Formats: sequence, C-alpha cells, structure tokens
Amino acid sequence: MPRSTHLEGCSTVDGFAIPEHVARALIEHAQEEYPKECCGILAGPPGEVRELHRLTNIDPDPVMRYNADPRELKRVTDEIDEKDWEIVSIYHSHTHTPAFPSQTDVERAYYPEAVYTLVSLADRQDPDLRAFRILDGRIEELPVAMWDPTS
Amino acid sequence: MAVEVKVPTILRKHTDGAKVVSGAGRTLRELIDDLNARHPGMREAILTESGDLHRFINVYLNDEDVRFLGSLETPLSDGDTVSILPAVAGG
Repeated sequence: MPRSTHLEGCSTVDGFAIPEHVARALIEHAQEEYPKECCGILAGPPGEVRELHRLTNIDPDPVMRYNADPRELKRVTDEIDEKDWEIVSIYHSHTHTPAFPSQTDVERAYYPEAVYTLVSLADRQDPDLRAFRILDGRIEELPVAMWDPTS
Repeated sequence: MAVEVKVPTILRKHTDGAKVVSGAGRTLRELIDDLNARHPGMREAILTESGDLHRFINVYLNDEDVRFLGSLETPLSDGDTVSILPAVAGG
C-alpha cells in the first residue's frame, strides 16, 4: 500500500480522503498500464470519492504523457452528471519520476476544481500516492487520508 | 438555430459563472463566433491562434466528439446540445 496517513472511518478530513479500495484500484490500474501512464477520474458527491473510472490514455507518447480518450471522458462525465456527482479528482501515474506534478501537469491542469492525484511507480514495489491542487500554476500538496468505508 | 452550450468550470469566468448558456449558429464555427460576441474570451479559449480547435479542448455535439463529425464545420440543428470539456491531460 502507498504511504499515507490512515484515518479509519473518516471521510471528511482536512486534506484529501480516499477510500482504501479506491486507492488499491488506482494503483492496480497504474501497475497494469506500466510503463505507460494510466489516467482516470475519481467521482462522488461534492468532495467525496466514491468511484473510480478508468480512462484510456491516447497520448502518442504514453510513457511520458497522458491524454484521456475524449469519447470515454464524455461518457463518464455524463454518468457523473446524471447522479449529480462531480469529478472530485483526476488521477494519473508517473512511471519513472516522483509523484509530484510535472511542468506539463501544471500547464494542462484544466480542472482547477479537481484534486490531482498522482501515483508514482518509480519504485514499483512501493507505489507512492499523493494529492495536489493545481491553481493558476501553483501547486499545493494535500495530505492524503486513506479510510475504510466498511468500518 | 438555438443551441444549448454546456460550459466547463475553467471557462465560466467568461460566462459570469453560468454552467449552461445559449448560442446560435448554423455550424460550430458560427456558434463559437456567436458565443464570443455574447461572452468575450470564449473564442480564444476554444480555438488556437490559427483558428483550429485547440488540441486540449474537446467539443461534443450531443454525445459525439466533433472531431469525428465535421470539426468546426459540423452543422448544428435547433435544440442541439454542445458540450465543452477540457482534456484530462498532463505528463
């Protein structure tokens, strides 16, 4: 499991709360796509992660970049809208560099309302999951809190 | 042609915060011109300097990506919905 603060049963913390099973699914996605970058959306009611939606990375340089398939993106955002949910977070992996937004991540952070979740597989045995706000070119790290919704 | 346009958060600074706005045009290109007249700044947010659709802006007519239709020359009909979604992209 990634390094994190563990707060059982806590869904609203000062930072970014992610259910453990969603974090596991995110890391699984990253491992499956390795050495390519994976990408997707974490959705739920405002501010609360409930579901992970994988998206296909169609960037021509998928080891270094990601760009989600536009048709899938539309389908997933429509599903989210129908539930009156929102895109709580956009996630992707870095397969060779730390879990910190790259210059390209900052330049292409077109969803200022979302938390950007990154997982690094620079050490494949020890994935590192971190979360950020990227606003007007500025990066702010949010503490990640894993929680178990069944407890 | 009255068309409903869904506006993403990052472009709502041009629409006084509105999530959905109305526009008109026989093609997507005309719609973007009309939107820009009503909401200055929209054209340069959607199109490149050379007038093409920005690589990291996705525009959909109803459910389909306009790149699979006629891109900026895609014809519009009364009652259509045009959605704008920025790319989920980075490095």
